[in-house]
Amino acid sequence: MPDFKTLGQSLPRVDATQKVTGRATYAADVYLPQMLMCKLLTSTVGHARVVKLDTSRALALPGVRAVITGHDFPDVLFGSGALRDRRIMARDEVFYIGDPVAAVAADDEVTAQEAIELIQVEYELLESVIDPLDAIEEGSPAVHRDMPNFEGYGFAMGGNNCTLLDADRGDVDQAFRDADHIFEENYRSQPINQGFLEPMACAANVEPDGRLTVWASTQGPFQVRAQLASVLDIPISRIKVNAMELGGGFGAKLRLAFEAFPAMLAMKTGRSVKLVNTREEAFTLNGPRLETNIHLKTGVMNDGTIVARESHSVFDVGAYLGAGPNSGVAHALGPYSIPNIRLRSYGVYTNKIYVGSYRASGVADMTFAVESHMDSMAHRLDLDPMEFRLKNVMSEGDTSVSGARLPANGLRETVEAVKQRLGLPKKLGENRGVGIAMGEWRSGSGPSTASINVNEDGTVSLLTGSVDISGSDTSLAQIAAETLGLDLGQVIVSTRDTDMTPFTGPSGGSRIVYSQGKAVQQAAEDARDKLVSLAAQRLGVPADALACRDGKVYVQDNPAQSMTLSQLARASLTSQQGPIIGLASLSSMPYAPVFNTQAAEVLVDTETGQVKVTRFVQAQDVGVAINPMSVVGQLEGGAVQGIGRALSEEMQIDPETGRVMNPSLATYLMPLAVDMPEIETILINVPSESGPFGARAVAEPPGFGPPAAIANAIYDAVGVRINELPFTAERVLAAIQGKNSLDRTMDVDSLKRREG
Amino acid sequence: MAATMKTPLVLNLNGESRTALVQPYYSLLDALRDEFQLTGSKKGCDEGDCGACTVLMDGRAVTSCLVLAHSAKDSEITTVEGLAGVSPAGPGELHPVQQAFVEHGGLQCGFCTPGLIMSAVGLLNQNPNPDAEDAVYAIGGNLCRCTGYNKVIEAILAAAETMRSKAG
Amino acid sequence: MARFEYLEARSLRQAVSLLQRHGEGARLVAGSTDFLVRWRQGVWQPQYVVDIRRIASLARISYSNSRGLRLGPLAKIQDLETHPAVTRRYPALAAAAASFAGVQVRNLATVGGNICNASPAGDTLPALLAFDAECRIVGPEGERWLPLASVFAGPGRTVLQHAEVLAEVRLPPPAPNSGSLYIKHSPRGGMDIATLGVASVLSLEGDGQTCRNAAIALGAVAPTPIRASDAERLLIGNTVTPGLIREAADAAQRAASPIDDIRGTAEHRTAMVKVLTQRTLETSLAMAQGSEVSTRRQRDLAVQRAF
Repeated sequence: MPDFKTLGQSLPRVDATQKVTGRATYAADVYLPQMLMCKLLTSTVGHARVVKLDTSRALALPGVRAVITGHDFPDVLFGSGALRDRRIMARDEVFYIGDPVAAVAADDEVTAQEAIELIQVEYELLESVIDPLDAIEEGSPAVHRDMPNFEGYGFAMGGNNCTLLDADRGDVDQAFRDADHIFEENYRSQPINQGFLEPMACAANVEPDGRLTVWASTQGPFQVRAQLASVLDIPISRIKVNAMELGGGFGAKLRLAFEAFPAMLAMKTGRSVKLVNTREEAFTLNGPRLETNIHLKTGVMNDGTIVARESHSVFDVGAYLGAGPNSGVAHALGPYSIPNIRLRSYGVYTNKIYVGSYRASGVADMTFAVESHMDSMAHRLDLDPMEFRLKNVMSEGDTSVSGARLPANGLRETVEAVKQRLGLPKKLGENRGVGIAMGEWRSGSGPSTASINVNEDGTVSLLTGSVDISGSDTSLAQIAAETLGLDLGQVIVSTRDTDMTPFTGPSGGSRIVYSQGKAVQQAAEDARDKLVSLAAQRLGVPADALACRDGKVYVQDNPAQSMTLSQLARASLTSQQGPIIGLASLSSMPYAPVFNTQAAEVLVDTETGQVKVTRFVQAQDVGVAINPMSVVGQLEGGAVQGIGRALSEEMQIDPETGRVMNPSLATYLMPLAVDMPEIETILINVPSESGPFGARAVAEPPGFGPPAAIANAIYDAVGVRINELPFTAERVLAAIQGKNSLDRTMDVDSLKRREG
Repeated sequence: MAATMKTPLVLNLNGESRTALVQPYYSLLDALRDEFQLTGSKKGCDEGDCGACTVLMDGRAVTSCLVLAHSAKDSEITTVEGLAGVSPAGPGELHPVQQAFVEHGGLQCGFCTPGLIMSAVGLLNQNPNPDAEDAVYAIGGNLCRCTGYNKVIEAILAAAETMRSKAG
Repeated sequence: MARFEYLEARSLRQAVSLLQRHGEGARLVAGSTDFLVRWRQGVWQPQYVVDIRRIASLARISYSNSRGLRLGPLAKIQDLETHPAVTRRYPALAAAAASFAGVQVRNLATVGGNICNASPAGDTLPALLAFDAECRIVGPEGERWLPLASVFAGPGRTVLQHAEVLAEVRLPPPAPNSGSLYIKHSPRGGMDIATLGVASVLSLEGDGQTCRNAAIALGAVAPTPIRASDAERLLIGNTVTPGLIREAADAAQRAASPIDDIRGTAEHRTAMVKVLTQRTLETSLAMAQGSEVSTRRQRDLAVQRAF
């Protein structure tokens, strides 16, 4: 590794002191003078026409300042995903239990809640459909009768199938005919919540000049601005979004959530309005992940070479297409090279809470299926699961599903590292087992910008539009510091709003350090070049004789001949070029894959069905770790989310009504410290060709493997394969007793027939 | 409906006696945030399930969302804001637990952090020599979605060591 | 959401009289760990709240060899977990306390609150039942004693009349050569409401083999916590063998009449009664025969971190 000054060090986060002292300001911490509190009325039925909505009693309650319904908003359809399929607030029809119907602004929260209870709504029930496997069948009740007219509607089968993605390569049918073995399996993943600790919150105020200010808990302030402008039908120039400290998002806060309600109420009342979701609302109103049904068919030769893969995935998107089923195609192969493929992924509407994104949406679901399937095939072929994988993994130069060429990467190194750490292959004691899973992701791309100005005291101010998640501010500051030869403490990271910062894509998909980091690196290089150029003029030496490090620009052969950054910054104020500011802007980054291998050791209680993860090891190719402590923290946290997904987390949904039955943190079971093994993390460093200093994305992959690794470990321990998440005690015990809980699977033949 | 006027509440808060008008039905958490302007304690669930609102009441960690505000009078309440002193330059010296969370990466999004820190201080008040199991158990009522807890445990054990060596 | 007025009682007597004065619209609150949650949900809508949290004299825990364990109704769950008299003499109760929510809630929640909320899944209740707890109840008409088993009237309901207050809980001294354990079946090692819970208490004659007394109590498998009396009778007076423990576990299973809910099906709960009964009896037997089972081990067994 090169001799880095700041990079590669486990420095404390730049925001750590704010956070440990309780002084970091989250959206709910915004208190404005004369502020009103907002509460929402949401649909209590899954699909209905609103035949009566009387707000008069609520409005008459003392302390109530305004009540709004869907008719207070412009008649605009907008979309969170590919389709414009929803209204911000129901006008005449509701599509799921939790669909917003009205909102109140009152002097305090209790009054607002009392007012909500006084609103009278009458519904005329419409036919609804809850199970996605029912919904995708021909002739099932339509969730959206207007679907064919939705803007953005493209290739899909119709009915409730709102989007269909596909990929084909080679001759699958011939390959299956030629294969020595064909394996077919079904898997089902469960509805799951992102589990951010900070419930969504936002405040809004109309400024004296008529502009709207919004304080938002968001991963994408520019996306909130654009969508808010769309639903309010006002120019984006009328809106300023302050991105507050974010108390966890994991994809749930990428898009417009409820900001429009306090915004509209602020416009109606002329007063500031704040909305803070309850935990129940965090579970019932918007944006979790729903179930995915996956059918895999794989052709394998006697020597273990995989020759064909057919995959059909049905993603339940709920009432609106909040996030698409892309992973059903992009991640149907796993990190394997398969020549003949037919991949289909269906998004299906149901009358349920609509889906959002969650830490690489759908990839964990697909990885569960693909990596369980790999293990299952290996056992049936009597091959070692790890050797079977290694026989089929992608190599540099192979072509990914999307057609990109695979660049240099550390895939094999991650396998090797886990194998060595655990001493695989090995057989553990009674009721104990070990299982592995591999994962793949691409480092996220998208519009990225940065500006860096050099202050008169030699420090620099870094301005980015990206919200800090996962310590990204610290990593970006380290990239700037390294490029300019400064200490981390000499980089000031500004807080951000959409007026002040240049446009940036949202913080999601593990794109910030990779893409935004590249922009920061380029902006820092730009500032450095300008510093060097100014120093060259002043020192009377050629620019290429100079270096920038330790707060100085100096002549490399004679370090005593130098100017400090402070001197240069002050000199720049009156120089011909003007004050020094480094800028960078980019829109896309090359394909930089990320691979990981994860392994779990489990102990299964064969009398109760309880599964305990006793050891967890993971290795990931992170390219170069900008901040190893932060990187390891991401990988540990992601793995624990994955373990929760495997063992205990599930949004239980009433099959009759679509209601979320466990909308609390006492009933939606996220892992606690007492449940977790120590997570052992190994960083593999194969620098990416394109990322800043060779960095790759980090945060998404650790959540992918735990369900399959644990499923495979359970199989190793007690010889049963469980195809359905999560592995509750009851489900595991049933499997041990020979009962498979996956009682319903998709009709693949019918899907193929309809495709024609 | 019963009369529900705000009434004065005197709290022994972070070593000071402070008074505010508080609704009878307010939780301690709501009073701290809305009436005493201390927003460090977070409302993650308002049901006692997440631990983000943890404060010390007479030295013991409690979920402030479950405590009736008026029930807290006469008790010593310490919030995350009361751990570090304040100096003109900003926050004063950090409490060893806060310092350890900073140095060991025991926080990410930070929303659960004040509660975790208060649970850790509650543990160390009772047990200056915790082992990893004690630390795990002491934060058994705190949900953290970002860190996976490893670094939180590390931080708590490191803080305990610092405090022991300071106590000499 | 209904607003209420806050009243504080400084003594038991005052609490009774405040409850009397304000009638059915008044509700007693102690640790308040359930109260504010239920109030926010609109389930409880009192006009007046009578707070007894700070009556220090009601929080005492004391033990004497002659009278056994005396718990003030405001004794905190956390104190049950750590009090030496409880950990040493009533291990199942300490284990139950350790399995209860998380530290911050245990520091607020009270034994009286756990009893009076009468949840079938209340964590301390099977252990208290198995230890033959008796309750002193004080009301406008004076006081009365009731065995804990007859305090419960159904899910969330007790036989306490309005303005009656639980004043004390007593557990008789444990027999010599005894052991006990509580095991809670739930997905996580903390914070969960029990899918079910089983507490067993076993004491042996001097021979170290014959069951002198046995108590088995089940939580979350019936409208109230219950004793599995048939199972107990199978054990009492007989030599405790693995086979007898299995028979008793089968009998305990027959006592259960659980329902399906989000935490589990009736079928799974019923099956687990047997497993947990067997395991609590096995550990109780080992303890009664003199095996050291550390507090930490009991806690891990109680929350199924160890199995």
